[in-house]
Amino acid sequence: MSDQSVFSHRVTRRQFVVGGSLAGFAAFLAACAGSPTESPSQAATPGVPTAPPVNQTPTPAVPTEPPVPTGPLQFANWEAYIDLAGSAGDEGVYAPGSSPTIEKFKEKYGVDVNYVEKIGDNEDFYAIIQPALATDLPTGWDLVVLTDWMAARLISKGWIEPIDQGNVPNCVNNLRDGLKNQPWDSNNDYHYPWQSGMTGIGYNAKSLRQAGKAAPTSIADLYALPSNKINFLTEARDTWGLGLLKLGKSADPATTTFDDLQAVYDDLAPLVANGARFLDNSYLQDFASKKVWAGMVWSGDLASSGTPGDTFVFPSEGCMVWTDNMMIPKGAEHKYTAELMMDFVYDPQIAAAIENYVYYVCPVNGAAEIMQEMNAEEPLDQYYLDLIFPGPELVAQMHNFQFLSDELETRLKELFLDLKGV
Amino acid sequence: MAAAPFLLLAPGTLWLLIFFVWPTLQMLLMSVSTGSLDDGYQVTGSLDAYGTAISRFPKQFGNSLLYGGAATVLDFLIGFPVAYTVAFRGGRYKNLLLFLVIAPFFTSFLIRTISWKTLLGDEGPLLGFLKHSLGVLPAEFTVTGTSFAVVAGITYNFLPFMILPLYVALEKIDPALIEAANDLYASRWQAFRRVTFPLALPGVFAGSILTFIPALGDYVNATLLGNPQTQMIGNVILSRYLTLNDYPLAAALSFILMAGIIVAVTIYARFLGTEQLTG
Repeated sequence: MSDQSVFSHRVTRRQFVVGGSLAGFAAFLAACAGSPTESPSQAATPGVPTAPPVNQTPTPAVPTEPPVPTGPLQFANWEAYIDLAGSAGDEGVYAPGSSPTIEKFKEKYGVDVNYVEKIGDNEDFYAIIQPALATDLPTGWDLVVLTDWMAARLISKGWIEPIDQGNVPNCVNNLRDGLKNQPWDSNNDYHYPWQSGMTGIGYNAKSLRQAGKAAPTSIADLYALPSNKINFLTEARDTWGLGLLKLGKSADPATTTFDDLQAVYDDLAPLVANGARFLDNSYLQDFASKKVWAGMVWSGDLASSGTPGDTFVFPSEGCMVWTDNMMIPKGAEHKYTAELMMDFVYDPQIAAAIENYVYYVCPVNGAAEIMQEMNAEEPLDQYYLDLIFPGPELVAQMHNFQFLSDELETRLKELFLDLKGV
Repeated sequence: MAAAPFLLLAPGTLWLLIFFVWPTLQMLLMSVSTGSLDDGYQVTGSLDAYGTAISRFPKQFGNSLLYGGAATVLDFLIGFPVAYTVAFRGGRYKNLLLFLVIAPFFTSFLIRTISWKTLLGDEGPLLGFLKHSLGVLPAEFTVTGTSFAVVAGITYNFLPFMILPLYVALEKIDPALIEAANDLYASRWQAFRRVTFPLALPGVFAGSILTFIPALGDYVNATLLGNPQTQMIGNVILSRYLTLNDYPLAAALSFILMAGIIVAVTIYARFLGTEQLTG
């Protein structure tokens, strides 16, 4: 299948174009850079773990044997996070051979890629790989994608392979400035961002219309819908972050107290008792089956992989913002291939193809311009523009509730487990 | 010669010492320890974990007892007629029928439970058909995420553990004994009640123990088919152990569960009469 057919399929499905919103994009990324801390210094920030030092060994004088890509590359990612074509694209579920990007990579380097939509929740995936990492065993994964706070935790524990920067020139050259200098890995020794995104509210317009309910525009509206038809996220930071905003509190780890967390719990408990669910990306299936009418969701999913009527809204109280990051777990068998993959997706052409499908916020310089060309023929709705290039007024409403102190994190976990009945 | 029994027991004893007794002792010590995963745990003899376990999770203990007990009873009600039919009416199809009982269990436990989720889904093949094609159920009707689904899942998953011991016990019964009862003017029901069923009791006992004990500790069905109100004690142990790393509490919960099982099984054995079981 040619690229052309892939793109034309996507375009017709989504009425897509990029119109001069690059300013908004830059502003958004600037805001991302500000999170989790504005401080350029490397002084330890409460709640932000620090990375172990890396010895970037100087290139040996004698040229060594060039490394050979090996496979299959074991690549764990989230659902709705890569470009898909054909029937997989319609269903929004990856199947081998369905992603043009993965296929191009396989062709270019002659290695197989086992791309698995394995991650739905940072803590759950951590629980899977932690035992191996803690005992110095390989996890079986070569490349994983996890959110800032979890990435920082893994890096600080020394469980991530340092990236050989010589193998990732595209990453070095094309990473957006706004995403550089993260306090937990300031030189990108261990990570490169995959996508950034927002946590807000989603709903299926058809489900709500049939039930005679108005579409929610705020988190409070969501809470007011029938409890057994809404979902929260298994990602506790997202659920509590939005819960804090709903109560008019600031979703800022620096000022949040135990009482604030408890207030969110008290607010959620009756809804959960009446049937509200905690879901990960599986809300896509529950939206489709009408089991859930509305819920807390991640920004790009409904646009890329939802069914007709699925809509994302930036709640009036504000939303959460985060970045998911590519990393190579300690002991990965195909580390070099994983670096090649990182480099590959930082090629602006490839990044644009992924972005053109997933509707998240791309970390790669130059990708936006290429997307613009791709979609020049058909104008893009403001709805999609807001997802990919959120403007300054949206950026001003974004909050980062990720880097919690140990005490806050433990308290949050306890409350969340209580809420889930375990 | 005197050493022979000990030698024969040695592999089993060694196995249990290493993989049961030793970890159990460690768990016991852990349950009276305090500390954290990062700072290490010290045995302090503190019983706080037991206090927390009992005061905070009575509902989940109750759910375990209720769901495990209900599933065991259901398994018996479903399993006994099956085992009886295979044992007495199976004829040359006996082995095939037994194979059919076990066949689904060649598939992973998890996959079977997840497939229940799909089959019983709100818009799945069963409910979707009943709701939209036949219109006999309201659109709101739901099975997944209820205690009914949890009990049904446990019942399904542990059914062979009930059927197989029942079958073995029934199969061992000499048909001549039932004939003799009939010759002595017992009706078919009387013969069943006075001869067949008492002889099958060891199978009933073994089957219900094999079902009830693992069902009490099960957490997969509650995770996949339940909701926050239907979580079982196994779910709590899992979350306290893996998510909160509160090892003392997880250990205390496990010991309370173990003690509960021992008490329940002892009462049950008394009730059924041990001499009948070994006879």
